Formats: sequence, structure tokens, C-alpha cells
Amino acid sequence: MSPARRRINFVRIGAYVIGYGLSLIMIAPLLWMLISAFKQPGSTVTIIGKLFSTPFSLDSFEKVLKPDGTAMMWRWTLNSVIVGVVQTAVTVVFASWAAFAMSRIPFKGKTVLFALILTGMMVPVESIVVPLFDMVTALGWSNSYKALIWPGMMLPLAFLILKQFIDQLPGELIEAAKIDGAGMFKIWWKMVWPLSRSSMAAVSIFIFIQSWNNLLWPMLIAQDNSMMTLPVGIPTFQSIFATDLAVPMASNVLASLPALLVFLLFQRHIIKGISMTGIK
Amino acid sequence: MKRTMRPILKNYLTAFAFLAPFLAVYLWFWIYPIIKGFLTSLTTGSLGAPKKFVGLDNYRYMMDDDKFWSSLWNTLYFILISTPSIVLLGLGMALLVNMKLRGTTWLRTAYFMPYMLSVSVIGSIWVFILQSRTGLIAETMNSFGKTMGFSWFGSWGMGWLSILIATLWWTVGFNMILFLAGLQEIPEDLYEAADIDGANRWAQFRFITMPSLKGVTVLIVILQTINSFKLFGQTWLITKGGPGTSTTPLVHYIYQIAFRQWDAGYASAVSFVLFLIIAIISLGQYKLLMSKK
Repeated sequence: MSPARRRINFVRIGAYVIGYGLSLIMIAPLLWMLISAFKQPGSTVTIIGKLFSTPFSLDSFEKVLKPDGTAMMWRWTLNSVIVGVVQTAVTVVFASWAAFAMSRIPFKGKTVLFALILTGMMVPVESIVVPLFDMVTALGWSNSYKALIWPGMMLPLAFLILKQFIDQLPGELIEAAKIDGAGMFKIWWKMVWPLSRSSMAAVSIFIFIQSWNNLLWPMLIAQDNSMMTLPVGIPTFQSIFATDLAVPMASNVLASLPALLVFLLFQRHIIKGISMTGIK
Repeated sequence: MKRTMRPILKNYLTAFAFLAPFLAVYLWFWIYPIIKGFLTSLTTGSLGAPKKFVGLDNYRYMMDDDKFWSSLWNTLYFILISTPSIVLLGLGMALLVNMKLRGTTWLRTAYFMPYMLSVSVIGSIWVFILQSRTGLIAETMNSFGKTMGFSWFGSWGMGWLSILIATLWWTVGFNMILFLAGLQEIPEDLYEAADIDGANRWAQFRFITMPSLKGVTVLIVILQTINSFKLFGQTWLITKGGPGTSTTPLVHYIYQIAFRQWDAGYASAVSFVLFLIIAIISLGQYKLLMSKK
């Protein structure tokens, strides 16, 4: 073996050691969370050496899932799913319509409109929560799905990504359909929507993750226990446990399951979605 | 004349029909709050109560407000420590995943997995790992007969280190994916040509990989800067902003003014400054993206 070749092998061995080492560091807190959740309620922190020597039980999960008014895991998960699904669906459909109009229908004033939409990309929802809170409480929307869903939708981002895709569609396709007498809505429904399905999937998953993780706004607007989403409910629920590790960890596991499941099922779409928002 | 007018009018109507739902939500819940927020920042009064016009008083007060400056400095400090670490670790992970090692899928999954968790779960896990006396690290040291002689949340430096560790662990996978996409856009034949020319791995990395990743790196730096300005969940959940105000970033401070002191005018003023800062950074990002094309 030539010296150059041997050196490359050293690089690869090093890469294996570092790569797998890092993967263990990244996954260890998750495993610790998972195993701790299967300890008896009231268990204090389980150190690595004792992880498997202390008894296992499902009681912590039972305690979290029991509907006794403090932990409403089912309700919070349901709320998070409702808010996430509606926000994602509305964002993608509205943005797709707008992107289609901006990309394919000639009209004056587009530049101004485009600039106005881009401005929105630059507004972090964190900087408008105060006026939003004022608005939404004045409307009497506190503790409602309306309040959780409408503010803070990531419309401009979805618009930009979908517009880039629609711009790339061949113009002849749409012209031909127009000559055949198809209305614009029909063209959108029969051509644009099906053709952009893969970018829509990527955008959807990206928006869903953002919505699923949203903490600040839902925390401000959903004080009622039954209207909380998971990110709001979890810390509220856990604040009553000071030293008990098992019950909070059980609630963490339950709160993470849907997202981890989505990830394992749609890994490729998720990764594509992130690459798209970044590179393009 | 009539014949040319009609299609134009029809186009306007169709375009409007397609744009209306988007614009309705967008103007109502994004643009209007910005304007309303700015107007509120010129007033004084409690959140939800009638307000009195005070001109630029809130902004003048901000200039002398130590807590505002310390939250701004905290935010800048977090940018300073988090950006290089996220770039280096993210790039390192992307390079490892891109090396076609055995079990690459596992590596990518493991690096990315924490990003799927909600910030509340992240906060909870790290509090249980780091907290004094009953945390994982403290208990592990105890079992070896040692005591943890410091508190992770007890000082400015350690507090920010805790936030940094939790944030890195949570979001580095996202940045790895961006780097990975950048790496995979580099044409393979560049490396083949370099191989033929006898360039070693380091030279290939230095003269092919690094220049090709410049765009992604700038993007990640900008995104991390923006994310640092939006930092809230981690400090709110892990250090509670303390000790004192030492780990309170800008959004956390806005939250305190608005929803602890209920001072709508001043909170709106600080919010508007945050909006301006992020708008300027984003404008730079947009200019950069456009110049690339």
C-alpha cells in the first residue's frame, strides 16, 4: 500500500471515531430522557451508572396521561395538531394562489406588491407580539383557535419558495391550456397544484415544524389550560415538579413522539425542505 | 378600445381574486401590527388600556435604560459565541456525513434529531442535566464523592454557556443540512481533476470545498444572527433570564416589559427597534442573495 493511501485510511478511521462519537453525544440526552421516563414517579435524577439497575415502570406515563386537570397531554397534542395542520394548509394554499397570480398573470403594480411581501420576510413575529396581543384581546379572541392560528403565519416565506417554483414551469403549458379555454382557477387546480406538489410538501413540513415549536405567541394568548399547545403546556405542567424526574420526562417523551414520528417518516422531505429554504 | 381594455381588466380581477386571501391575512396580521406597534410606541399606558401620546419619550427613555442596553449586549454576546460554534460544528458534521462512511443515515439522523423537539422539551432536558444538586452532572459528580463547586445558572458566563450548549445541541443539525446541501452542489469532477493534479485532501478542502461553501456560510451566519435576536425560549425556560438580568436577551426583555410590567408603549418602542435591526440584517441578506444571481 502506498503511503498516500494509508494516510487516507487514517483520515477515514478518524472520521469514523469522531462521527460515531458525536452521534452518541447528540443522541445521549434523548436516550436518557426516554429511559428516565420509564422510572417510577418520584424518582430523582438517574445517573448513567444506575440507568438499568433501578426498577422500570409505566406509572409515570399513566400519571401524565390521566386527565386530572393539570396535565392535559391529549388535549395539548390535539391543539398542537389542529393549529399546525390548519396553519400549514392555509399558508400553503394562500401562498400558492398568490404566487401563481404574481408569476403568471400580467398586471401593473407587481413590483410594489412584491416589495411589500418581501418586507414581511424581515418582520420577526417576536417584534409584533405586543400589538398583536392588543389586537387579538380587543377582538375577544383570547383562548381561541382563531387567535392561535391567524397571527404569525409564515406566508411570505411560503410565497417566495412557491413562486420560484411556479416561475420555472414552462409558459407554453399554461398558454396552451388558456387557448383550450381553461379558466385561471382551473389551470391552477389542474396544473400548478399537482406539479408543485413536491415543493409544497417540503414547504409544508418546514412550516409545520415551526408551528409545532412555537412558544412565545401561544404562551401569551392561551392561558386557559385547555387551549394550550404542547410547548406551552409542558413547562406549565412541569413547573410543579422540583425533583421528580420521571413524570416530567414522561411528558417530554409523549410531547416529542409525534414530531419524531413525522421525522422518521418524512426525513427526505424535511431535509429537502430545509435545503430549499436555505440555498434557493 | 373596448377590446383591449377588457382582458386587462379581467387580468386585474383574476389576479386580485388569487391574491385576496393572502393579502387579507398578511395585511391584517403582519403589516397592520407593525404600524400599530409603531404608533403605540409613541404613547404611554398599560396594555389594553387607553393610551396618551408622548412623542419620542419612550425612545429617549430607552437610551438611558441600562436594562435595554444590557439585553442588547447580551444578544450581541450570544451572536458572538453561538455563530462560530454553530458554523464549525455544523460544517464538521456535514463533512462527516458527506464522507460516505458506513452508517451515514444513522449519523445524519442522530445529528438532526434534536432539531425536531420543541424548545420546551429542550429546556426541560437541559435543566435536568445542568441544575445544581439534583441535576445529572451534579448527581454524577456526587456518586464519585465530589461536589459540583459551581452553578450552571449562577453567573453571567456559565448561564450563557448553558444556553449555548442547549442551543447548539438543538439547532446544529439544521445548519448541518444547509452545509450538506452546499457540499452536494459542488461538482464531483472538480475533485477528480484535483486528484489527477495530485492535490492532497487538505489542498482540495482549502481550494475547492471552502470557496464553494462561502455562500452557505454567509447565509448561516445571517440566519444565526437573526435567530439570536429572536432568542427567547431557551433563556425563558433554562436560566429564566437570571441571575438578575444577566441572561436576558432582547425579546425576553420585551416580554418582561409588556407582560410583567404591562407597559405597552415602552414595550412597543423596544419591539420597533428589534424590528429595525432585523429588517436591516434581512435587507443585507436579500441584497447578497440577489447579487449572487
